[in-house]
This record gives sequence, structure tokens and C-alpha cells, in this order.
Amino acid sequence: MNAPIPRDIPLPLPAPEGLLEVLLIVSFLVHIVFVHLMVGGSLFSLICQIRGLKTPDYEKLAYRIMQTVTVNKSLAVVMGVAPLLIINTLYAPQFYASSALIGDMWMAVIPLVTVAFLLAYVHKFWWNHFINIPELHIGIAALETALFLFIPLIFMTNVNLMLFPEYWPQVKGFISAMLLPNVLQRYLHFISAAVLFSSLFFIWWTGRKAFLQEAQFSKLRVIDVRRFFYAFAFGATILQILTGLVVFATLPAQGMSWGFTLLLMLGGATALPAIWWMWQNLTRPDHLLDDNFKKIMGCFVGAIIIMGIARHDYRENTLADHKTAIAEKTANYMAAVKEAGEAAQLAAKALEGKATIPGESEFNQNCAACHHATLPTVGPSVQEIKAIYVGDPAGIAAWTKSPGKKRADSMSMPGFPHISDDELAAISQYLLNH
Amino acid sequence: MDFPIFHIDFIGNRMLIAFDAILHVIINHALAVGALPVIALLEHTGIRLKDPRWDTLAYRLLKIIFIITTTVGALTGVGIWFSASLVNPAAIGSLIRVFFWGWFAEWIVFVTEVSLIMAYFLSWQSAARSAEAKQKHLHLGIFLAAFSWITMAIIVAILGFMMDPGNWLAERTLISGLLNPMYFPQLAFRTTLAMVMGGMTMICLTYLFTRNDFGFRASVLRLVSSWSIAWMLALVFASIWYYQVIPQHMFANIPVAVTTQEFVSWNSSLKWLLIVGLSFVGWVLWSSVKHPGTVHGAKYIASVLLLFAMLGQFERVREFIRKPFIIGNYMYANGIRVEDYPLLQRDGILQHATYASIRDITDDNKVSAGREVFEQTCTRCHTVNGINSIRSQLKKMYGDKLWQSDVIAAYIENMHGARYFMPPFPGNKAELNALAVYLSTLQKRATAFNGVQINGIPKPDKISAATFYGALPNLDAPHGVQK
Ligand code: HEC
Ligand code: HEC
Repeated sequence: MNAPIPRDIPLPLPAPEGLLEVLLIVSFLVHIVFVHLMVGGSLFSLICQIRGLKTPDYEKLAYRIMQTVTVNKSLAVVMGVAPLLIINTLYAPQFYASSALIGDMWMAVIPLVTVAFLLAYVHKFWWNHFINIPELHIGIAALETALFLFIPLIFMTNVNLMLFPEYWPQVKGFISAMLLPNVLQRYLHFISAAVLFSSLFFIWWTGRKAFLQEAQFSKLRVIDVRRFFYAFAFGATILQILTGLVVFATLPAQGMSWGFTLLLMLGGATALPAIWWMWQNLTRPDHLLDDNFKKIMGCFVGAIIIMGIARHDYRENTLADHKTAIAEKTANYMAAVKEAGEAAQLAAKALEGKATIPGESEFNQNCAACHHATLPTVGPSVQEIKAIYVGDPAGIAAWTKSPGKKRADSMSMPGFPHISDDELAAISQYLLNH
Repeated sequence: MDFPIFHIDFIGNRMLIAFDAILHVIINHALAVGALPVIALLEHTGIRLKDPRWDTLAYRLLKIIFIITTTVGALTGVGIWFSASLVNPAAIGSLIRVFFWGWFAEWIVFVTEVSLIMAYFLSWQSAARSAEAKQKHLHLGIFLAAFSWITMAIIVAILGFMMDPGNWLAERTLISGLLNPMYFPQLAFRTTLAMVMGGMTMICLTYLFTRNDFGFRASVLRLVSSWSIAWMLALVFASIWYYQVIPQHMFANIPVAVTTQEFVSWNSSLKWLLIVGLSFVGWVLWSSVKHPGTVHGAKYIASVLLLFAMLGQFERVREFIRKPFIIGNYMYANGIRVEDYPLLQRDGILQHATYASIRDITDDNKVSAGREVFEQTCTRCHTVNGINSIRSQLKKMYGDKLWQSDVIAAYIENMHGARYFMPPFPGNKAELNALAVYLSTLQKRATAFNGVQINGIPKPDKISAATFYGALPNLDAPHGVQK
């Protein structure tokens, strides 16, 4: 296998690599939890709205959910800045490359997220305006949810692509990068996590004392709403384990190690008792519904931390060789830069010793770009100027101080009022004599 | 050189950043830094006068600020990163290495700012329940205004650094970069301009929201106009300060007459815009303090537009005096470090460009090699057919005369002398000629020029299998040429 080896940014890292990695794992987990709540919340709000067509209380629930979405979405964005910054720092050669390879879709993230957020506000602030036009009311929610579902796919494609430099040459744009062997299953794994974590969030949220008063249901019992979320959490966990197995089976081999496999198994295993406890809660009488909630949350917090570490471990494994190669190439290159720089300095020194012709350096600095020795470039050639001003250096100086407009097909020459008379005289002499 | 080259030929890469950045700066100055203090001021006045109309107005204004800053405002901020890392990854990557902790601090302030604005806005109605809660709520607003200013203060340091790294070139520390000589004048200028912009924008919106209550409108307009006029006085001093520091400073770096002339014309257009604009805005504000309610809304809107134009022109001048560098004296706008030049001019840039598909130029591949040289050295600023297109530039210079490659080569070789805003050509002679040949073919026919997001990258060359990723190019070989 063969991959492009770029060079790294030739400046030292701003902090020890280990510290940056820890910061990356922690800030990414915080970010992704809010993303889950945003995506899952939007999805649930849509589902509840549709159910609200039959059972109006669900419509009220959808509205309450929407209010959490607009808060969580803001937190998702601000929390995303830190991991983005650290990825930029630690993985510059890989991350910038993969971003460029899917550049137009990557850039589209910005307008897409903006539109999704604006839709979310339209939806929330004008809820009552649209409520009697179900097509629009649900249409806006559906569009917003569709955007919220699509945007993570772009991110997933990019963070996957950056891991596999050997795939870069075969990628032509976003679609081909998205269709690389393990993107879609990772995406499904993400979506089921979004459903899972937002269900858990809503189980807690609907369990608060204040909720009953906020929601103002007319018939619906809060306990039924909570069962509804429990059921989703239960289903999503099973889906999560299944998609997780598929992801594991299809992960490219270069990042695999026993340590990583062990971490994954450990993370997955923590979900098993949670499934059992959820099942118990679901099948028990109402007043015992929350019996195991704390334990369940404990399992998932453990799982998400382990998975975050495993994910980073896999990335480091995959890129280990690439990073070594980059470091060596960068060092070689910097040595070559230094050597060439010194050689150029020596050459310049050698030139300095030689007597210079008066006016030459001024001419090169100020005039040479537009006046070539023999060819007409921007302005007429030196040959032509010589022919016009034989024996008249003062004429050249006068023209240069305030040029006129002579040649119809050429641009006009800028004036040089700041050049001193002596310098001008030297330039004119130089022009005529060489 | 070290990154695949993303390129949008139609609007151009610089335009992509410029559009996003200008939008962001306008929202940040007019709706965050400058507007939030006004909201707190209105809330405070409402509490003092025990008049609920002030409170309602402040809430309505804040709702607009909230919606725009947490969507377009926040996302264009992230967008600057996205676009910069696509267009000039070498530059943004270097800045991040230097300013990591600055940006990290910025992030913490940003998180605080967003949390505060959500708390401030979402708790507005529930705070009405008691006088004590209301007072606490007002404090939230004041904190929020302070944090949004701090966010700007940090970013200005980074912008100032890009213009003039000051001592950083020698010391390479974060603090030396932050305390570069442009920092304080720029910060003073931006702060005061933002305050006037924010005040003016709030005046316009107030005008819109108080159509049915002229008495109330007059008292709000008088208050906000007095506030803004105080900042306006400060802005006059800040402009003079900025104007005195910048030119002297830049003239020292700029060698060529053309430069100075163009710069003077740019900067003097800013000067006149400032003088005329500030006089007009000052006059509008003054009449609004004296006779609020009689000033027509159109004058307020004109003032806001003038202030936006000043800001826009200021950003242009700021960008302009930075060229040809993207990080002053360290890296050129083409993403190549000053230090790299001797090596590249000796070996050729294609030898060292990771993602080039041609390394050696022959008679047969001149045009395609020239295209690659163009891609590496010119596309960060020029398109082929779009904005600032190389075809239109060549057309301006040579018109319908035959575009001769040796003439073009003679120009490019010296172009940095006459057109100082362009960096010197970073390749060797053969590449210069290939580039000129490619450019001369554009007179007749220009095939679409796409970046890697469409074309992809070539198969990596000359890397055999020693590590998992292959053996390394041996740069210790004579002349450092990759073989
Ligand atoms: C930006 C490009 C540019 C630079 C730099 C420049 N010139 Fe020119 N020069 C021109 C052009 C274009 C013309 C033709 C103007 C016309 O015919 O209207 C010209 C014409 C001339 C002429 C011929 C005038 C004539 O009577 O036909 C002289 C002499 C001259 N330049 C001298 C100089 C000197 C000396 C310098 C350096 C101090 C200089 N130029 C720098 C663009 C330039
Ligand atoms: C820092 C950005 C930048 C880079 C890099 C750059 N240019 Fe330019 N170039 C400009 C700007 C800005 C102009 C002026 C545009 C205008 O006047 O409208 C310009 C103008 C030109 C002109 C017209 C000059 C004239 O005298 O009117 C030519 C020809 C040109 N560039 C060629 C090139 C070539 C070839 C390269 C690559 C080797 C290149 N440029 C790289 C920014 C750049």
C-alpha cells in the first residue's frame, strides 16, 4: 500500500502531545453528547408532532422537546470548536488533506448548519402560527431534521477519510469518500447513539418535578411519555450493539490491536447490564419505572468514555506509520531548506564583493518588472527606450517623475515621485549605457 | 505545497473567505460587541424608571440579537476556520501552532458568552418575578457584554499578528506575538467603532419597533444617541491614533513607489470615508440628542450603512497592507515560507510539492507542468476564469496582441518588484518558462480549472515499500532533489 507523505507544519506543537490528546478526547465527548441531543431531539420532536396529529398532547410534548433542541444545538456548536482546534493542531497534514478532498461539501457544512438552526428557530418561535397548517408545521420540522441528520454524515466522512491516506488518491469528491468501505456503518452507529442518548436525556427531563406543569397535558400521563422514551432507549441500545459489531467487523485492519479490541469489548459489555435493567424497568409497575435509572446512566457514561478512548486509540494506531514518515520527511526537508538557505547567502555575499554598476540595483528594484532588456513586456523594452532617448538622460528622468500616456495599446506607467534626483540620474545613465 | 489544493474557480478562494469574514465581523461588531451594552443600558433604565416599556423593547431587541448571533454569527465564525483551512491550510495551521493557547482561551470565553446569552435571553421573563431577580438578571447582561468584548480583544491580537508579527519572528512566543505593535491602536479603533455601530443599529431597530409610541421613542432615542455620541468622540481619537501608527509602520516595509502610491490612495479613501462618515453620523446623533423624534429613519439607516462601509474599507486596507505576506515576513500569501524560497528556487517547486503529479519538466509536458506550477504558486489569489482571473489580467496587459511566453516569463520573474502585493515567483527557471507557456495558451482556450475536491490527487510517486507507508525520499542526496 502506498500513500502520499506530506510534510508537517514546521513549528513545534504548542503543548505536550499527550496533553493535547487528553483535551481532544474530553472536549470531543462533550461536543458529541450535545450533538446527540440535538439530532435526537430534533428527530423526537418530529415523531411527536406526527403522533400529535392523532393525540394532541404529543403536539405539546413536541413543542417542549423543541425548546431543548435550540439550547443543545448552540452548545453543540460551541463545544465543537475545541476538538476542531485540537484536530487542526495534532493532525494538520491529514485533516487538511481530507477536508480539501471533500472541500465543497465540507464548506457546505457552514450554510447547511446555519439554515438548520434558523429553521429550528422559525419552528420554535412561530410554533403557534403554523400549527393549523400541518403541512408547513410538519414540513419545517422534517426539513430541519433532515438537515440535522445529513450534516453528521459529512463530518463522519471527513474524520474517516483523514485516517486512511492510502485511500486519498482514489477519492474524487464527497460521494466517493462517503462510499469508502466503513463510513455508512459508522454513521448508523452514530444515529442509533443519538436516539439512545436523547431518549435517556428525555427520560430524565420528563422525570423532573417541574415537567408536569410545563407540559400541561390534558389527557396524556407523564408516565406513558416516559415509557415511550424507555422503549426507544431499549431498542436503540440493541441497535447500537448490532451496528457496533458491524463497524468492528469492517474496520480496516491497519488500526487494529489487541488493546483496541479489548477496549471496544469492554465498552460494548457495559451496555449489557443496562439492557437488562431497562427491560426490568419497562416491565415493572409504574412506580418502579425509575428504579434502575442511575445504574443505567452509570453504564452508559462508562461506555461513552471507553468508546471515546478506543476511538482515539484506533486513530493513533492507524496513523502511527504515517506520522513517523511525515516527521522524518519534515526533518529531511528542513535540513535541505537550511542548507539551500546558507548556500544562497554565500552566493549573495560573493556577489556583494563585486563592484556594482551605479543605477543597476535601483533599476532592478523599480523598473525591471515592466521594462525588459529586449522584449516589450508591460512597458516598452529598454532597447526601445534607448532609441527614443539617445543622449537625453534628463528626458528619461523627467518622464519618470511624471509619466504621460503615449502608447494607445498599453497601460499607463505609474509615476515615481519618491525617487531622488540622484537616483533617477543614475537609473537614466544606466538605461542608456547598458 | 504540503496540502492538496482546493480551488473554486468562479468566485475565487479569497472571495470565499472575504464574504464569510465580513459578514461575521459586521454581526460581531454591530450585534454583539456594540449592541449588548445597549441592551443592558435599556434594561437598567427600565428598572430605574419602573417603566415596563423599556423592558419590553430591550427584550425584543435582544431576541433579534440572540437569533442572529447564535446562528449566522456563530456559524460564520466557524466558517472562517473552515474556509481558511481549505484555502490556505499552511497559514492557518501555522497560526494555530503559535496561537493555540490564545485560541483555547478564546474558546473558553466563547463558551461563556454563548451560555450567558442563552441564560440572559431565556431567563428574561422569569426574572420579572422579583426586584432582586431582575437586578441579578441585569448583572448577567453586563457580564455578557464584557465577555463579548473580550472575545473580540483576543481575536484582534491574532489579526494584528498576521499583519506584523513584531518580535515573534525572533522570539516565537505567544506573548511576543500578542503584544505586537499594532495591537492597541487596532483594538481601540475596533472597540469604539463597534460601540457606535451597535448603538446605531439599535437606534434603527428601536425606530422600527416604536412606531406607535412617539413619546417613548423620543426618550429611548435620546438615551441611546447620547451613549453613541460619547463613543463617537472616542472613535475620533482612536481613528487618529490608528491612522498615525499604521502608515508609518507600513511604509518602512514597503520598498516600491507603486506600492506607496496605491497604499496612499487606499488609505486616503479610508481617511475620507472616516472624515465624511463620522461627520455625518456625528451630525445625525447630535440632532437625535437635541431633537429626538424629528430625525427621519432614513438618516439612521444611512448612518448604519456608512459605518458598515467604514468597517469594510478598514478591513480591506488591513488586508491590503499585509500583502504579499499572509503572516508578515514569515509566510507569503501563496502559503510558502520566506525561508523555503532558496530551496524551491534551486530545486523547483514541483520537486517538493507533495501532491504534484509532474516532477520534471520536459518539452512534451510543458503546458500541463505549467498548469501545476500555476496551481501551486498563483491560485491562492488568482482564478483562471472567475474573480481576479489571470486571463483578464493578461488581457489587460497584452490585449489582443499574441501572448508570448517569453514576454510573460520576463514579467513574472520581476513581478514582485512592480506589483509588490504579489510574492516573488517561488520556482526555478524551467518552471517559470513552463508557467509562461501555460499562461500563453490561455489566450485561445482555457479549460476549466478545478481543485482537488473535483479532480482528486495523483497516485503518490517514487515511494517504495519499506515502512508501511513506504521509504522516504532521500533529501540528503546531492542538491536535495527527491529521486
Ligand atoms: C508598472 C509597470 C512600470 C514600471 C514599474 C515602470 N514603467 Fe516605465 N513604462 C511603463 C509603461 C506601461 C510605459 C508605456 C507608457 C505609455 O506609452 O503610455 C512605460 C514607458 C516608459 C518610458 C518610455 C517613455 C516614452 O517616452 O516612450 C520610460 C523612459 C520609462 N517607462 C522609464 C521607466 C523607469 C525609469 C522606471 C523605473 C523607475 C519605470 N519606467 C518603471 C510601465 C512601467
Ligand atoms: C498575494 C496574492 C497573489 C499571488 C500569490 C499572485 N498574484 Fe498576481 N495579482 C494579485 C493581485 C491582487 C493583482 C492585482 C489585481 C488587480 O489589479 O485587479 C494581481 C495582478 C496580476 C497580474 C496583472 C499585473 C498588472 O501589472 O496589472 C498578473 C499578470 C499576475 N497577477 C500574475 C500572477 C502570476 C503568474 C502569479 C503566480 C506566479 C501570481 N500573479 C500570484 C495577487 C496575487
